[in-house]
Amino acid sequence: MRRDLVFKIWVYTILIIAIGLIALYSASYSNVRVSQKIFYDQLVCAAIGLVIMYFLGKVDYRRYYDIAYIFYIFNILLLLLVLLKGRHALGATRWIELGPISFQPSELTKLGAILMLGRYFSNRRPNLSFNFLSKAQMVWRDILIPFGLTLFSCFLIFKQPDLGTALLVLGIFCGMLFVSGIEYKYLFSIFGLFIAMLPIGWKFLKEYQKDRLLVFLNPNIDPLGTGYTIIQSKIAMGSGQLFGKGWLAGSQNQLNFLPERHTDFIFSVIGEEWGLIGTVFVLFCYFQLIYYSLHIASQVKDRFGMFVTIGVVTILTLQVVINIGMVMGLFPVVGLTLPFVSYGRSSFMIFIIMMGFLLNLSKRRKVF
Amino acid sequence: MRVKIFRIIIIILFLIILIDLFYVQVIKGKYFFHLSVNNRIRVVPLEGLRGEIMDRNGNVLAKNRKAYDVMVVPQEIKDKEKLFQYLSDTLRVEKSYLEKKYAQKKYTPFAPVAVAEDVTREEAIKLEENRYRFSSLLVVESFNRVYPSAEVGSHVIGYVGKMSRSSIDQFKEYGYSPASIVGKTGVEEYYDSYLKGSVGGLQVEVDSRGRQVRLLSLKEPDDGQNITLTIDNLVQDISYEVIEQKRGSIIVMDMNNGEVLGMVSSPSFDPNALVSLRDKSKAAVLFRNPHSPLLNRSISGAFPPGSVFKIPVAISALANKKINANTTFECVGHHELGGTRFGCAHIHGAQNLIEAIAHSCNIYFYRLGLILGESRIQQHAKLLGLGRLTHIDLPYEKEGLVPSRKQRFLKKKQRWFAGDTLNLSIGQGDVLSTPLQLVRMMATVARDGKEVQPHVIKAIGGRDVKKYQFERKVPINTNVFDDVKTGLRSTVASYSGTANVLSFDDMIVAGKTGTAQSAPGKEHHAWFVGYTKGTKKEVAFSIFLEYGGSSQNATLVARQLLVRLRQEGII
Repeated sequence: MRRDLVFKIWVYTILIIAIGLIALYSASYSNVRVSQKIFYDQLVCAAIGLVIMYFLGKVDYRRYYDIAYIFYIFNILLLLLVLLKGRHALGATRWIELGPISFQPSELTKLGAILMLGRYFSNRRPNLSFNFLSKAQMVWRDILIPFGLTLFSCFLIFKQPDLGTALLVLGIFCGMLFVSGIEYKYLFSIFGLFIAMLPIGWKFLKEYQKDRLLVFLNPNIDPLGTGYTIIQSKIAMGSGQLFGKGWLAGSQNQLNFLPERHTDFIFSVIGEEWGLIGTVFVLFCYFQLIYYSLHIASQVKDRFGMFVTIGVVTILTLQVVINIGMVMGLFPVVGLTLPFVSYGRSSFMIFIIMMGFLLNLSKRRKVF
Repeated sequence: MRVKIFRIIIIILFLIILIDLFYVQVIKGKYFFHLSVNNRIRVVPLEGLRGEIMDRNGNVLAKNRKAYDVMVVPQEIKDKEKLFQYLSDTLRVEKSYLEKKYAQKKYTPFAPVAVAEDVTREEAIKLEENRYRFSSLLVVESFNRVYPSAEVGSHVIGYVGKMSRSSIDQFKEYGYSPASIVGKTGVEEYYDSYLKGSVGGLQVEVDSRGRQVRLLSLKEPDDGQNITLTIDNLVQDISYEVIEQKRGSIIVMDMNNGEVLGMVSSPSFDPNALVSLRDKSKAAVLFRNPHSPLLNRSISGAFPPGSVFKIPVAISALANKKINANTTFECVGHHELGGTRFGCAHIHGAQNLIEAIAHSCNIYFYRLGLILGESRIQQHAKLLGLGRLTHIDLPYEKEGLVPSRKQRFLKKKQRWFAGDTLNLSIGQGDVLSTPLQLVRMMATVARDGKEVQPHVIKAIGGRDVKKYQFERKVPINTNVFDDVKTGLRSTVASYSGTANVLSFDDMIVAGKTGTAQSAPGKEHHAWFVGYTKGTKKEVAFSIFLEYGGSSQNATLVARQLLVRLRQEGII
């Protein structure tokens, strides 16, 4: 059973990465706009990533517990640094340069938040109250402290501005809070708070973010900009039909109809060239990965391990569902990548680290 | 267990995606497949109308004229050979030229490519009649820029052109596309973001013959804003008329508020020739012309100011209390220093400061230079705006140069000699300035040290621009300027003054002549920089003749200019 789980995580991770590389090859195939370089870039990234994943599988996951808070503080410092002097690209400041490497600290925050919340929630001892505090106060403290911590980094990411990742980190918080077994009345108060905050949040949005959200409601508002992307991406998806147009034969893709098709919209390339068969298979792979991760979470005795796994599952689910939904026009375009498939080194490596964690956890859970 | 509920939520989310995938790819699949293969979505960009440019009296300096462009939609070309042959026959243009243009401009398969711009009405009608034969062909109405005053003042107005491929990446975020028209120099470039209309467009569904099936959506473009300049067209006409046959620049500026009334540079160019897309050869001639007609000599040319530089030297000497107006030096026609003879134009005899300015006596200023030393001269020259940008609202302004010991060492690894100080004190050697800097300096002197900001913008979209309406007090004692002004006035008023030709019965003119050595073996540069006092509009002005010989030539041009301006009731 133990070997079996490890094997499955390996298989589905590699399958997804391979599908991503195939799609990326097609998206950059003899093309002026997207250079072939990104394919080789991702190929190297994948090779290095798998090696790292192998070694992380051997690292005791309890080490993560020790560094969780320090890591989170370090991450917040990086986020501040980005805001002060980050590299500018596509109207946002998200990158930081360390010598030859440039990466996005906001990607690191996903991991940082999971570890921090994992440690915090696993330390909760709701039954050990000596009535110094009322139960309600106790619970509020347990919610509000991690909530404040999460919100702070969300705010920093939001300032970059990167609305998608900021909401994603909030999503991680919600997912882990839900599983922490908190009573529903508190849970729903938190959700109510979110909904109440929406109109206030709207005021803080940049003009283009508002545009995107409005365009989502009606793509025809901006037929040349974001709306165009949504319309074209839907055409690409739909025209794939059941069996697809074949590899390197998607006209929407090859004829440059699809903008951002190597990053956020890579799924529409898969949809066009491999049809429903391809998209369902990709969805299946993700589902399997998530399903077996949840399996680990439900069996593991260690609370920290359980919470972190839930965090990983949450983020995987959210990114997959939101990204695919975005490509199909079900969600607004918020700029979230498809894990392991979209081009982007920071995002790729973060998911590799998460898989490494799961590998180790699945090996060791019998210890308890 | 919460984990179980969590699992159910995830399964539901995945199911929703699955159902939607099925819906889009299978149920609606045929429809989308149809859209992607047979029917096409075509994006037709619509540009807002570019704002017009007007002079201070509302005369149009740049406007738009309706034109017809011939466009081709790449993905709908059936027989490329036949199409281009047909276009070439109808438009009487080389086929290879059209093909080259098509190859250069094509960037997405669905975006129409303009292969021929500004075709005649007859040609447009002819093409439109034959459209049924070529579904990929489009005749689109567009607007061309027209500059009614042609060569006159074209350096200030500038011209427009297609955005270059290299700069598109940089400007993409500001709403520019490869087809955007952008200003290239002058006001057209500096105020491009106001003049430019926003881009809108149509998204239409067309059938396989290129006919519009339905309009999917429309985004209306917005027109750009009209701009009013401080420039007076009449001043421009007069200025250009008096300098047309020569090489150089004329600037006329309202010295009390910095409004530039006239700024011409000669030789000039016809912006219409650069905008015209029919006749590229005219533009090529302009770019290759050795007299560089595209250079705005008024702000982008830095030249040695010659004797005009004696003004800051005199101010420096007075401000440092080294001399007063009555300090007298004897001019014997030359000055010996280290075995070298530094000459003067005449043997002036005993000269006080006023006479020295009026006669432009070099010997007097050599003496001042030696008393002051180069750093004090440099300090006051900088205070008066030399070697600094004026920050006029036009692109490509040059900074000029006021040389110093340090700059000389850093640049040339050479030491500073006393001879250099002598050269500097009569505006020779390394010192360089633009005509505009000298005009502003003259205005500052005339107004006892109150510096104005030269500008050409008066109003944008009907609202007055207040940004440049300020003045700054130069930190020099006010009474220093009186003696210098007396000197500048007697340059004109005194019978022996170097600009005596400018003395009029009905108008007070003051100023300074300059004859600056240019390159060896070439004629000198001729300068006259001055101002009028008590006239309807008090103006500071400069006449600069590149390789124009003696400063006498500049004063003669100045005379013509002032007489005409007076006749027309401007000053």
